[in-house]
Amino acid sequence: MATTSTRAAVIRGITSCVPARRFDNLEETTGFDKEEVEKVVRLAGVKTRHMAGESICSSDLCLAAARDVLDALEWAPESIDGLIMVTQSPDYFLPSTACLLHRDLKLADTCAAFDVGLGCSGYTYGLWLAAMMLQGPGFARVLLLHGETPARFASESDRAVALLFGDAGSATALEARGGADGKRWWFNLHTDGTGYGDLIIEGGAFRDRFPADPRKYFVHMSGTGIFNFTIKRVPPLVESTLAASGVGKEEVDYFIFHQSNLFIMRHLARKCGLPEDRIPFTIGEFGSTGGPSVPLTIANGNLKRPADRSLQLLLLAYGVGLSWGSALVDLPPGAILNHVQLPGAGDTV
Amino acid sequence: MTTQEATRWIAGLFQESADSIAPETPRDAVAAWDSLGELTLMADMDEKFSIVLTDTQLKAMTKVGDILQVLRENGKLTD
Repeated sequence: MATTSTRAAVIRGITSCVPARRFDNLEETTGFDKEEVEKVVRLAGVKTRHMAGESICSSDLCLAAARDVLDALEWAPESIDGLIMVTQSPDYFLPSTACLLHRDLKLADTCAAFDVGLGCSGYTYGLWLAAMMLQGPGFARVLLLHGETPARFASESDRAVALLFGDAGSATALEARGGADGKRWWFNLHTDGTGYGDLIIEGGAFRDRFPADPRKYFVHMSGTGIFNFTIKRVPPLVESTLAASGVGKEEVDYFIFHQSNLFIMRHLARKCGLPEDRIPFTIGEFGSTGGPSVPLTIANGNLKRPADRSLQLLLLAYGVGLSWGSALVDLPPGAILNHVQLPGAGDTV
Repeated sequence: MTTQEATRWIAGLFQESADSIAPETPRDAVAAWDSLGELTLMADMDEKFSIVLTDTQLKAMTKVGDILQVLRENGKLTD
């Protein structure tokens, strides 16, 4: 299976959350020449990033986002049937971060809560999982949380990643759509495990729990490997998703890219023949936040939303694994889009 | 594309004047040919010539002539 579709789910709201601590790459970076920083900022497009520091975890960002979206929708905690937490920066190896969030949100014990260990592709996979849950009886509401703190696992001395990553969380409230006339969502999900080494944290887990080289506790990225993977896999992903759905490029209101790198996104847009005025970019403000960059961009991309119809969005998520996926979904006119910030210990906002 | 045209293209890519770049120009004499420069080289090779450069190829490049050799091997040079 690579392509599948469902009418089961509808998005009722999305809230994104970033740490309040905003870091200006040009003004605040030390350790690299100013000229070098300017080059990276120009190419990658990351002017500022929001940084969790040591006091904020992905779960904290997702909790703030979840509380906001549940308040906005006036959904009672006990009405949530499923909670999916997509993250590769969990609070602990065990228990699942979803269980901690279940506790903090005071959800019912009939709620199915679990983690999904995916990164950059995680939002498309998460939406698909939520939609699958909402197909069956017993699931009417699912909360999809996606949070990462990649700035916490990037070494400050690694020029490839030091200026790139920001931290973010999100909460997407989904409901069973009901009725046969709902909008059909399309998903196209893929994996290539041979590329696992292109984006990896080698130490700290069970292959090498206490590495002798402390650099292994930080992420290593092969820029060339990731670039080649992106240009090989993303254009066919766009084509095959649109072909399967029968939707033309001109019928998609916005193409929401995983915010990996501005240069790469623009290259992909040209390669896929996509107009830039329908591709929102949020990497300038938030940096590359991993998988949550997709809901972050939906919420902060200044999408023009007509009052009388849904937006048709093609979500494109690709990266660590190597894993990639698309989701062609609708965003109803009444769906809430919010954004909040979370102060860390010692922050003054 | 001729070798001369390709050399001029490489000069433009790395923001050097055309007369400062020749096939024998070593990589470390080209200021912009760093890891970020590699990314722009990869993107331009893909966009202009549909050539995908591997990590091995990039690491093996020590002079401008090595880029020209890749173009030649892919049938992109006419001379």
